[in-house]
Amino acid sequence: MNPFKNLRLWVWVAAAIVVVNGFFPSVWIFFTSLKLEGELTRIPITYWPENPTFQNYLQAFREQPLGRYFLNSVIVAVASTLLCVGVASLAAYALARLHVPRRNLILSLLVGVSMFPVASLMVPLYQTFNELGLRNNYLALILPHAALSLPVATLTLVSFFAGIPRDLEAAAMVDGSSRLGALWRIVVPLSAPGVFTAAILAFVNSWDEFLLASTLLPAKAMRTLPVGIQLYQGEYVFPWPLISAALVVALVPVALVIAVFQERVVGGLTQGGVKG
Amino acid sequence: MKKLFWLALAVLVASGAVAQQATRLRVFIGGQQRPDVMRKILDAYQQRNPGVRVEIEVGGATSDQQQQYLTTVLASRDPSIDVILIDVIRPAQYAAAKWSDTLDKYLPAASRANLLKQYLPAYAKANVINGQLIALPSFADAQFLYYRKDLLEKYNLKPPTTWDEAIKQAQTILAGERNPNLNGIGFMGNISEGTVCSFLLPIWAAGGDVDDDSGKLILTEAQARNSLQFWLDLMDKHKVSPPNMAEKAQDTIRQEMQAGRWVFGTLFAYAWNRFQNDADSQVKGKIGVVPLPRFEGGRSASCLGGWQWTISDFSKNKAQAYKLVRYLSSPEVSKVLAIEASNLPVFPSLYKDPDVLKANPWFADALPVVQAARARPVHPRYPEVADVMRKALNAVLARTKTPEAAAKEVIGGLQAIYGK
Amino acid sequence: MTRPQPRYRRSLGDLSERALAFWLLVPAGLLLGLIALYPVLRLVYTSFFQYQLTLGPEASFNGLENYATALRDARFWNALKNTSLIVLITVPGALVVGLGLALLANLPFRVKWPVRLGLLLPWALPLVFVGLIFQWFFDSQYGVVNDIIVRLGGERQFWLFRPDLAFWAICFTIIWKTSSFVALILLAGLQTIPKELYEAAEVDGASPFQRFWRVTLPLLTPAILVALIFRTITAFQTFDIPYAMTKGGPGNATETLAMYVRVTSIENLNFGYGSALAVLLFLLSMAITVVYLRYVRGADE
Repeated sequence: MNPFKNLRLWVWVAAAIVVVNGFFPSVWIFFTSLKLEGELTRIPITYWPENPTFQNYLQAFREQPLGRYFLNSVIVAVASTLLCVGVASLAAYALARLHVPRRNLILSLLVGVSMFPVASLMVPLYQTFNELGLRNNYLALILPHAALSLPVATLTLVSFFAGIPRDLEAAAMVDGSSRLGALWRIVVPLSAPGVFTAAILAFVNSWDEFLLASTLLPAKAMRTLPVGIQLYQGEYVFPWPLISAALVVALVPVALVIAVFQERVVGGLTQGGVKG
Repeated sequence: MKKLFWLALAVLVASGAVAQQATRLRVFIGGQQRPDVMRKILDAYQQRNPGVRVEIEVGGATSDQQQQYLTTVLASRDPSIDVILIDVIRPAQYAAAKWSDTLDKYLPAASRANLLKQYLPAYAKANVINGQLIALPSFADAQFLYYRKDLLEKYNLKPPTTWDEAIKQAQTILAGERNPNLNGIGFMGNISEGTVCSFLLPIWAAGGDVDDDSGKLILTEAQARNSLQFWLDLMDKHKVSPPNMAEKAQDTIRQEMQAGRWVFGTLFAYAWNRFQNDADSQVKGKIGVVPLPRFEGGRSASCLGGWQWTISDFSKNKAQAYKLVRYLSSPEVSKVLAIEASNLPVFPSLYKDPDVLKANPWFADALPVVQAARARPVHPRYPEVADVMRKALNAVLARTKTPEAAAKEVIGGLQAIYGK
Repeated sequence: MTRPQPRYRRSLGDLSERALAFWLLVPAGLLLGLIALYPVLRLVYTSFFQYQLTLGPEASFNGLENYATALRDARFWNALKNTSLIVLITVPGALVVGLGLALLANLPFRVKWPVRLGLLLPWALPLVFVGLIFQWFFDSQYGVVNDIIVRLGGERQFWLFRPDLAFWAICFTIIWKTSSFVALILLAGLQTIPKELYEAAEVDGASPFQRFWRVTLPLLTPAILVALIFRTITAFQTFDIPYAMTKGGPGNATETLAMYVRVTSIENLNFGYGSALAVLLFLLSMAITVVYLRYVRGADE
């Protein structure tokens, strides 16, 4: 029985607004990627491209090794996400489930690091990775990206872990699981939507990050997508159609993977889900 | 004398090292500087100097992005980069921060004077900071007055030499064409480096400047106000520019002019090839360039751009780096850049070179413009100077400040930077 | 209405609870220590120095002088005002819009992906490009916004160089981008609320509105808190969107603190003063966030 039956029309209208609102800029970018530059200063403006062309995509791949950039982004984003969510789960379990002295201080320290503008930390960060000999090594980006998302991932997980009924965990431990076993087998799966959200946040943070990537992985073979895409610019020119094509290449796979993952995997996990 | 001894020793040691193994040099250039052409140039250098290997590091594609990266690298005193290609507005900053090694160490005073004479005159001002030579030019750039040859001919007009002429011509053509999408005089008004040039052009064209040769602030409030008022009048009084100039970036004007929608445009050199070569250009063969107009009693001036080679003070191979810089700033390389990358040469003689002219016939018209080009204020705190000027013009064009109020702020801001 | 929370018996653990908690927190401490400890200490240290590379490469200790300068600096106060307004407008804005998005995305649509993707895409679009795209949307001549207004019979507006309009355009863009982040966190929170609770409430005769107030909102509070904390922190750090849309203009009308920090350090090479501004920005966001942190649930409550 659908509790929202009487609201059905309004729900559809609202859903349409969400879809248009969320999709419009991305669709605009897609349309732009099919246009030639001359069409962008047309009066009145055009929405649907006049003579759709895939030329920009060809040129985008010809001018820059976009495939390589994509691979670098995948490596960095996947590795930093796994590291971040792994470390965050452990910390979040302690903060949500155990008696931690000076808990508020620890939370403040954790959250506090994300309150400095990254730009003002660049010089010492650069020095650190230079000293470690890690420049132009994937680790030079994986570690800071994981650290960057650690606060938000940890706090997200704390809020979910704290909501898992303790008797479920206790039952598992009575069955002979260790505490950590219970964390991996009971708490994490039951918090699937939370873990998944933390992972999306970390993944997208890493996927989009520009400043650290351009400074710590500047070599051509190591560039990530945001760094590579900025290189289609010139001193004075910003070729939107070309950059749009590169953005579509960067955006579509991520959006699809996340959408499919959410529908199939997380949907499945929650349905087996929490009984309060 | 002592210095010379150490230098000789350094050269000796360096050459000894070369004999044993190749010296590795790393050159930093921006993504917009044609790394492919630069690679060819460096390959030629390596062939002639078997003991040297030169790597290219390609940075971001705009001056701002490179500044962000280089600030981090150089503030960390990282020795990994030996030679850097920097924007013409930066040498004073690099000198003050001691990021650049002075080239005078390797260049006797007499030959320095001879060398600088060969380049376009404005580069001697831009690259000599407090008497020290900080960098040598790679390629030139300047602002031109682009105009529609076909439209001016249609109305029997000659390219303007004064701003009053330019305004009258634009008004005549706009009145005659009756095309609502056609505009008169395009200039940069958004918050960008180009808008600094917009602010300076009327001041130079009237015979003024921001500072004198000794680095003293000489700009008056009246001069600043006249400049701001001039651009505002183009919109409000003369109606030759549309009311949204405060958001116009240089490339928007270029695209619009390419679609046939401007009579005049003050743009940098890159626009020419786009007008002539882009597939969708509506103005192929219809564009001419002349020096920027002056005011009655003043003289024509253009805003100098271009890129300079400097040696990182943290480099461990400075003597070798110096040799490389001299090569990279030589007429030979300037010619290759002109032919293969359409970069304006830094040597006046090359503007008459038949090979260069064959590749870029319009360079013949460009020579008087680059010779009259002026350097933006040469000051270690140039970014702050620029910020004051471009925000003032932008605010006037956005009509959030009157020219009077903005001029007062410009002078106040500049006095705080220059010291009274 | 809360879930049952039986008291936890300590004898269940293998390690002592304190020791286990310690070891679980070590990896996070190491990671943050490696990445943040030295840079943050260095930043604070530099803020006590006169260190401006355009005056020379030497740094000299000047105590609290940089902080005193900031308090006298009209541009700092202007940036502080803009930043505070952005926090005050875009944090509640993103929260309300994000909550709406999340509630909608959690409805039992037969095909879920269009709404879910519509919720996700703004978050996945890189921040820098969001700024540039919306600059284009708000362009007075080539922008979609004016095009729609004119088609509906309205007047063309100069969005990006009228100070008040520019400010609202920036806030709109920030809310558009960040409500997606809020919605992601809240959606996850909604997914863990057991359906039985709604069914029970319905049997009790509660209206949808009452169900929202009595079931959804209380159980969603922890997630809302997390979203609120990070939305506040990132709002204080607002840089990319106004930088791309207006460069802080016209004049300095839309300049934020993070923009001023960046200009001072990177462009003007005034690292001493830039560091002091960054520390002030930190203190400000800390002061507000500490209040929220008290309400983050844990074992002690």
